[in-house]
Parts: sequence; structure tokens; C-alpha cells
Amino acid sequence: MVWAALCPGGTRLLAATFTASLDRDTIALGESATLSLTFEGDSPKDVPLPPNVPNLQISYVGPSSQFSYINGQTKSTVTHNFTLTPQQTGEFEIPSLTAEVNGQRLSSEPLKLTVRPPNTPPPSAVNSGSEIAFMKLTLPKKEVYVGEVVAADLRIYLRDDVQNFANFQFISTPADGFTIGKMAQQSVQRAQLGNHIYSVVPLSIPLTVVKTGAVSVGPFTANAVLVVSANRQRDPVFERFGIHSIFNGGEEKQVSFATEALNLESLPLPAENVPANFNGAIGDYTLTVTAGPTNVAVGDPITVRVQISGRGALDALTLPDQPAWRDFKTYPPTQNLKTTDPLGIEGVKTFEQIVTPQNTDVRELPAFSFSFFNPDTKTYRTLRQPPVQLAVHAGGTTPAPMIAASKTPSPQPSPPQLDILPIKEQPGALTQAGPPLLTRPGFLAVQGLPVLAWLAAFVWRKRTDSLANNPRLRRQRRVAQLVREGLNDLHRLAAENNSAEFFAALFRLLQEQLGERLDCPASSITEAVIDERLALLGAPEPTLAGLRELFQLCNQARYAPLRTSGELAAVIPQFENAVRELQNVKA
Amino acid sequence: MTVWIFTGSALAAGISAEFNAANKLYAEGKFADAAATYGKILQSQSVSPELYFNYGNAEFKSGNLGRAIAAYRHAAQLTPRDAEVRANLDFARNQVQGPSLRESRWSRSAGWLGLLTLNEWTELAVAAFWLAFALLVAGQIQPSLKTALGGFTRGAVAATVLSCAYLGVNAAIHFSKQTAVVVAPDATARSGPFEEAQNAFTAHDGAELAVLDHRDDWLQVTDRSGRIGWLQRRQVEILPGS
Repeated sequence: MVWAALCPGGTRLLAATFTASLDRDTIALGESATLSLTFEGDSPKDVPLPPNVPNLQISYVGPSSQFSYINGQTKSTVTHNFTLTPQQTGEFEIPSLTAEVNGQRLSSEPLKLTVRPPNTPPPSAVNSGSEIAFMKLTLPKKEVYVGEVVAADLRIYLRDDVQNFANFQFISTPADGFTIGKMAQQSVQRAQLGNHIYSVVPLSIPLTVVKTGAVSVGPFTANAVLVVSANRQRDPVFERFGIHSIFNGGEEKQVSFATEALNLESLPLPAENVPANFNGAIGDYTLTVTAGPTNVAVGDPITVRVQISGRGALDALTLPDQPAWRDFKTYPPTQNLKTTDPLGIEGVKTFEQIVTPQNTDVRELPAFSFSFFNPDTKTYRTLRQPPVQLAVHAGGTTPAPMIAASKTPSPQPSPPQLDILPIKEQPGALTQAGPPLLTRPGFLAVQGLPVLAWLAAFVWRKRTDSLANNPRLRRQRRVAQLVREGLNDLHRLAAENNSAEFFAALFRLLQEQLGERLDCPASSITEAVIDERLALLGAPEPTLAGLRELFQLCNQARYAPLRTSGELAAVIPQFENAVRELQNVKA
Repeated sequence: MTVWIFTGSALAAGISAEFNAANKLYAEGKFADAAATYGKILQSQSVSPELYFNYGNAEFKSGNLGRAIAAYRHAAQLTPRDAEVRANLDFARNQVQGPSLRESRWSRSAGWLGLLTLNEWTELAVAAFWLAFALLVAGQIQPSLKTALGGFTRGAVAATVLSCAYLGVNAAIHFSKQTAVVVAPDATARSGPFEEAQNAFTAHDGAELAVLDHRDDWLQVTDRSGRIGWLQRRQVEILPGS
């Protein structure tokens, strides 16, 4: 409503239109053009897709849209873009396209795209040195066999005034009847063409022929960014030191490269004289076979090591069946490829196959044979290795492994082990399978013992040190010990009816106990101390009275020592009681 | 006690007889029967490196690469410094097709860690621990020894800390990681833990895979190339550690 209010008379939309256009109508093979389907006014219900055009690859890029409002008129534009990549030269027609917009069927005009051959420089321009940069593709032969691998040579030439070479990208590398392997760059070379020196970047490309008949490679197209000296006049002083561009920034150029297309004839492999065990190997190879151990029991594994060295499609090589090995059980071989060239078409492929003899009649591992077709000599060839002598016994512990080589010496060192080591004769120390020690609660609990022992020793040490630093406490303990021992003496002396000794011991014990309580020498304790000092410590009167009585008994005994055992024994509890009460008196 | 000793020696004699019988079967080329007999002893929970070694040999010669590798790994866990066990394990591993975990990064970078079993690391740590505390107790009982034993005490404490650290690393590997050794000829790992799930990859007999997860009878595993899939428990033998 707001929109309507702002726009008197309402929004006026333009009638929908549909146009198809190309960003350019002529391109070189290897380049791409952009097809734009533009809708103004409204969007189509479905995006019209261009029909399939032979040898023209069409891929949808995506939509883009614009919206504008000018003088009360709205204008919306939606553009759907497609990339057109031709596969060959010639004229391509994109027919009229129809789209439905708001129930209205709209059609575009048909378009023409002209694809010219890539810009391959003429030989005269190349040889005169007038081309800044160009690319050249060559093949070693004109006639190949299906399955053969040939190395194509692609060289990029850069004239000496090219200061920098960057962003090199292949646009197309057509190869009809070939599969292209991984490219490998060789070291840069120099070549003179006309009056100029060119840097040459060689690239090797492995091509595997996959069909018979006419096959072709190229034209390869590429582009790159070159920085070319803007001024060809150079300072000879700097030039002598190889310094070309200190005072010259150079001019950046986008350059397209294209090679010629090379046509070859691919031949099928000859049908005559095909070896029985030929399994498709093409190239030029040598063969080495080793096997071991050679002294085995029935069923024991023997490792057969087959090394095929040479040039060809090493990746595709497989071990041929050996029908003569019928007395052996064979296992799938393992394989290992070691290439010696950057293209991966020269090197050594090693197979290791385990075979086990099935009976004791086996005396040898039959001869191994491998056949291949050599495209250079155009003939089949079969390589054979002589049989390997074996000693097969009924069964038992496998003797120590030993490797025996066939008559052709192996260039590789012998493998360290060709069989599992034999079984053990004794079962060893058998233990009960159980969880690890770490998870056993009993084991973990025992580990607490050292900690407990250390804690006990620590506490004991603290108490010992504390006693050593407290003479009062030390005396207290010594006196307590003396009293305990003195009581035993008193019981003994009472039983012996030794009154004099009994009271002498009793007096000494009283002195010790009171001396400890009053913190004074035991020898200085007399009965008078009881009233003079012990009363001051707040000892209860019954305690004081008991002590006085004991002191008086001791004094009386000096004058009237004769007493019965029973009377002496009756004094002991009185003494014990007095000691107990004394120990309750705060010292 | 006498009864216990008698029972124990009788049991050992019985196992020894079975072991010899299995060796005889092996010598006669009856590898599957030998493997079954070794396996029977192992089911009685009596283990030894030699027993696992012979069991591995019998399984290897019976064509059961995965079971052989699992047995050699059990033997290697009991006696990690045994060159013969290591040689047969490596030999068996070389027969395995396709990617396999082989040695863990830890095992490669810290080979010394695998020189001792987990129990040996435990015993070493415990010995250092007891020695350290014995010296500490001696120092408490006889303070005059503290100075004389100071160096030994510090050394024993350091040895305890170090051996406990090694033990910790070893225990972490042992308890936190699991390896599944494929014992089926060609085990199809699936993208989910159910039969109808899409094939993720195929693991061959003997492939060693790291276990990532468990769900019912399924294990989520990954191989050296980083592929992840679910295998049924019956297709693998699970071993502790990496």
C-alpha cells in the first residue's frame, strides 16, 4: 500500500523480454565463451536449458539479477550464465530457446559460435625467434600398440627477454585413445632460435594407448602470465652480470599457448605366436626369481620373490598364473613398485607370493615364466627362470629359514626373513591370565604400607624430639617408671618381711614422686615439704594427710622396724593411692 | 597348603601334556588341530608368551592371519623384548593386504616405552616408590642418616616420579585405546552399526584397526588411511592398547 501511495497510478512494470547472447562469437580451440540468457521484467518459470550440441560442452554457471527503479518504472533483470567449451574447431549453432514468463512464451534468437584453430605459431616465426613464447609437442613414434606406454615430450620455449613466467595453466589436453599420466618436469635447457636464446622447459607426459585405430594427442592449449622487458635496449655492463631488469620493470602479458595435434596409428597386438601365459604385459623387461626356505615341511610357506625390471606399464603388471605349480597352494601375492624415472614407467616391480607344498613328493618349485610384448621389436618374448630345488618332509618344526636363489643372481639383498620362526618346545612359565597389577585392589592397597610406615616414623620422631626438649616431662616419665618398678620391689620386700628395706624403698619413692611434682631434687624432700610447698599447689587435705602418714610410718620404722608381712603389704595400697592423688595435683 | 601345591603342580603337568600334544600335531602338519589344542589351553586362563607364540604359528599356518597376529600381539604384550615374537609378528603383518594400523605413533617415537610390559612398568614404579619411602623412614628413625642418605633419597624420589610418569603414559595407552584385529577373511565395514548400512570399506584378514566406539555387537573402527566404518564384533579380536 505504501508502494502504491508513493507511486501514483500504481507500479508500472515493463513487459517481459528474453534475449540470449554470447560474450564473443569467435574463440580459439581451448578457450571458453559465456552464453547469457537475460530476462527483463520477470523471471521464467523454468530456466531454459540449451540443448546438447555435439562437441560443445555446456555447463551452467549460475544466475545473476539486477533491480532498478527509474522515474516510477521498475526494471528487473535476471541473467542465467552458461560456459561453452568447444571440443573441436568449426561453427557451432545454439538454437533458439523458449521460456515461459507469466504465461507468455518468449523465444530467443539462435546464436553462432565460431571456433578457430588454436594459435600455433608458424614454423618460420618460431625459427626466426620472433615469438616471445610458444609450446611444442612431440612423440617418439608414429605407430603404437594398444597398451603401450609412450612418453610425449612437451617443451615450453621462453625468449630471453621474458623476465618472469607465472600462472601457467593447461586449458585443454585432449588425447583421443590415450590415458594421460602424471607430467614430470625436467631441468630447464637453453636453445638458440634465430638471433635469440630461449629457455626451454621440458615436460614429459606418459601416455598409455587404450584403443586401436587412429588416435591423436593435442592440440594442448595453455595460458600463462609473462613479464617481458619493456625496453629491449639493455645496459651491457649489467647484462654481463646477468642483471636484466634493475631499471626496467617489464610489461606483463597474458599469453596463450597451443601445440599442434599429433595423429598416430594404434595397432592391435599380434595374434600370432602369443605365449600361453601372456597376461597383457607390454614393454621391455628382465626377470629375477628367488624362493625360500627350501627345506620345509608339508604345508610350510615358501616365499617366492619375483622381480620384474624394465620399462613399460609397470603399474598394470600382474603376476602370471603358473599352471606347473599345481602341487602348491598359492596365496595372493603382495606387490611393491619402485620406479626410477619421474614418469613412473621405468623401475622394478617386486611380487612376493607365498606357496605351500601339498605333499612330500614335491622335489622342486617348477620353472617360473613371464611373457610380454615388446613394442620396439614388435615381438612376444618369454622369460624363464629355472626350477628351485626343494626338500619337503612330512611335517615338524620348520628348520631355520634359508633362501635359495635361482641361477640368475639377484640384484637385491636377500630378505631377512622368509618364513615364521619355529614353535617353542616348552610352554614357559605359565601364569593365570588376569587384569594388570594396576587394576587389582589388593595390590593397590599394599602400596599404602610405605606411606603408613613413614607416617608412623614421622609421629614417633616428633614425639621423641618433643621428649628430648622437655626435661620436666622426661623426669615425669622416669619417675613413673621408677614408681612402677618400686611397687614391685615393695611387694617383694613385704613378702620377705624385710621391714627396713621396705620403708627405705618407700621413702625413696615418696621423695622421687614429690620431687617430680614440686620440681626439686628428690634428696631435698622431707615431711616438712608437704605443708610448706605441696599445700600451696592446692593438693586436697586427704592427700596431704595420707602423705604425712606415710612419712611418719617411714620414720617410725627406723626406730621400730619389726613388722609383719601383712602390715607391710597393707602400706602398699596406701602408697599407691597417695601417688595417684599426687599425679592429679597440678605441678 | 600341601593340597594347593599338589593341585597346582597337577594342573601344570596337565597343561604341559596338552602343550606337547599340540606341538606334536603341529609337527605332523595338522595345524588346525594344533591351533585348537593351544586355544583350549588358553581358554583355561593359563597363559605364557610361548603358548601364544605357538598358537600364533599354528593359526598362521592354518591360513588364519588375523588370529595369528592377535596371538603374536598377546605374546608381545607378555614379553615385549622377545625378538622371535617380534619377527613372526612382523612377518605375519607383511602378509596382510590393504591398510592397517601397524605400530602406533607412540610406539614408533617412544620405542623404549614398549620395552617393558605394563606390569613391569608397575613393578618398577612400585620398587622405586618403596625404596624412596624406606629411605624416608630410615631418616625419621635415625636422623643422623638423613645427610648420608640424602642423595639416595632424592634419587629414589626422582626415580619414583619418572617411573610413575612412564607408567601413566603406558597405562593411558593400555586402557584408553583398543585395537581390533580382523579375523574374518574379508570383513565389510559399514557406514552404520547395522547390516543394511552401506559398505564403507573392506578390511582384510589381519588388518589392525583402531577402535573408536562400541555399540551393541558393533565396533566403530578406523584404519591408517583414516577410513571409518562399523564392524561386527565377531569379525575381529579386540586387544588393549594401540
